[in-house]
Amino acid sequence: MNAIEVNHLRRVYRTTIGVLRRSVKEVVAVDDLSFEVRPGELFGMLGPNGAGKTTTVKMLTTLLLPTSGSATVLGHDVARHPEAIRQRIGFIFGGERGLYWRLSANDNLRYFASLYHVEPEVARKRIPYLLELVGLKGREKERVEGYSRGMKQRLHIARTLLHDPELLFLDEPTIGLDPVGARELRGVVRDLQSQRKTILLTTHYMFEADALCERVAVINHGRIVALDTPEGLKKDVSDLSVIELEVFGIPAGVLEQLRGMPRVDAVTVEDLEQRQMLLVHSPRGAEAVPDILATLGGLRVGKVVVREPTLEDAYVRLVGGEGSA
Amino acid sequence: MRRLRGTLRVILTVAEMTWRMNVMDSFILFGLLIQPLIIATLALWILRERGGDYAIFVVVGSGMTGLWSSLLFVSGNSITEERWHSTLECLVGAPVDLGTIVFGKNLSSVLQSLASMVVAYLFAALLFGYALRINHPVAFLVSLLLTVLSFIAFGMVIAPIFVINPDVQRWQNALEFPVYILGGFLFPIALLPFWSNPLSYVLAPYWAARALHASSSGSGDLSEMLLCWSMMILVSIASLVLSRLLMVRVLHKARTDATLNMS
Repeated sequence: MNAIEVNHLRRVYRTTIGVLRRSVKEVVAVDDLSFEVRPGELFGMLGPNGAGKTTTVKMLTTLLLPTSGSATVLGHDVARHPEAIRQRIGFIFGGERGLYWRLSANDNLRYFASLYHVEPEVARKRIPYLLELVGLKGREKERVEGYSRGMKQRLHIARTLLHDPELLFLDEPTIGLDPVGARELRGVVRDLQSQRKTILLTTHYMFEADALCERVAVINHGRIVALDTPEGLKKDVSDLSVIELEVFGIPAGVLEQLRGMPRVDAVTVEDLEQRQMLLVHSPRGAEAVPDILATLGGLRVGKVVVREPTLEDAYVRLVGGEGSA
Repeated sequence: MRRLRGTLRVILTVAEMTWRMNVMDSFILFGLLIQPLIIATLALWILRERGGDYAIFVVVGSGMTGLWSSLLFVSGNSITEERWHSTLECLVGAPVDLGTIVFGKNLSSVLQSLASMVVAYLFAALLFGYALRINHPVAFLVSLLLTVLSFIAFGMVIAPIFVINPDVQRWQNALEFPVYILGGFLFPIALLPFWSNPLSYVLAPYWAARALHASSSGSGDLSEMLLCWSMMILVSIASLVLSRLLMVRVLHKARTDATLNMS
């Protein structure tokens, strides 16, 4: 039996707009989504903002009802039997909210341990262990309001592990963390993976998905556009080369000219303070560089690098350059 | 048995943590300690000619104002506040009934608000020099216990109503004084127009105030006490049944409309 089975899942948000002439606006957040996660697997979901990742996780964690389709978690239907699922899963949503800031870390964990029916003698041993695991030992008596964002995120991880769940939903757990905090948190995820916990991880960071996930679903506009291992996804773009050009100010219209060049697959721009990093995907590799430079005209260009594609490049191809993650 | 023990543990832990958070909230402390003192001072000053017998009525009545204000603002907001703090998703996603959590939160708020009565008692005794005496202490204690339970039950109706209909919550401030009056906290409802009496009879705070006034002043006989206690139990059971239905509605609506979180 799969840990998660999702069949043609769809979720539509309805909002009412207008005061006098009220009308209902519908937004399709998840559209005909189907996938499964195997027991013990670390499954990733990648996608730009608004792709439907968090909506999917909220439906699977029983916090949101699907509009249509079905999903089972650990063999139970998310819409009809939420109670059977809740004791066996843990979840965190990105961001620092969701904790009681006026309580200490210790009290937060005691509170949630009781909500998850963890016996007091078990909680007394488990809370110090988890505080040590997430690196909060010695700070557990301080109020959470004085914690950094990274500390709050790590406390979320400890909270979600209190009842030793079989299945974890980690929705962008490293968002907003500094590089050191994010690396530490990824270390915790690796530890969990080594314990053969089933994990569904959503992330914006390609290297995170590449380093951690066994399979990755790329989701865009509520639909899965690719589902494979990171290596499999990279194979899809193995025919490409990526040309990175450091440029200083790109005039309007140049990007469209680049996209119109023959055998150019995708063009994206990343702002880096006073300069930009232009990424051109093309199977021509180094041969395309003179033509690109000619198209850029007299534009000041710094370093130019031609490299092999990464998972991020596969992602850019799949989501069409949206939300350059 | 194990399930019951687990539920009791949840209620007590929620109550303990709510207490820890409330004692750091100046708005709650004002409602519990300062506001009943202001009301007690005004009533004791205005009614100073009426003597010591009336003073216990004022002490109990001003304590009741603290209880009701706490119920309205703390218990009433017990679900919406979780939503404001983005903790509601964590609570709903936990394998525990939301009603159990709200019960624990209300237990803490109602027990804390009994401080209003103690403060009003000390204030009247020390500052105004009244020799305050509870005439039927056993009946008073039973009434107090049932008051706590009936206020918790009443709070469990208000909290989901505020979630289902935010327009009602916007009238929260306006709901404070009418219940002081309809509940007969500071003067008997016999002074009110006849048509308003049925409104009082369906309010648990009215029967609580009547029982506490009667037992403290000694004006009520056993049949009066039994009537008040029966009505408190009856209204509480009705409140808990209604609360159960409303909680189911709240959770279904939140899972349908995606309103568990503010974002």
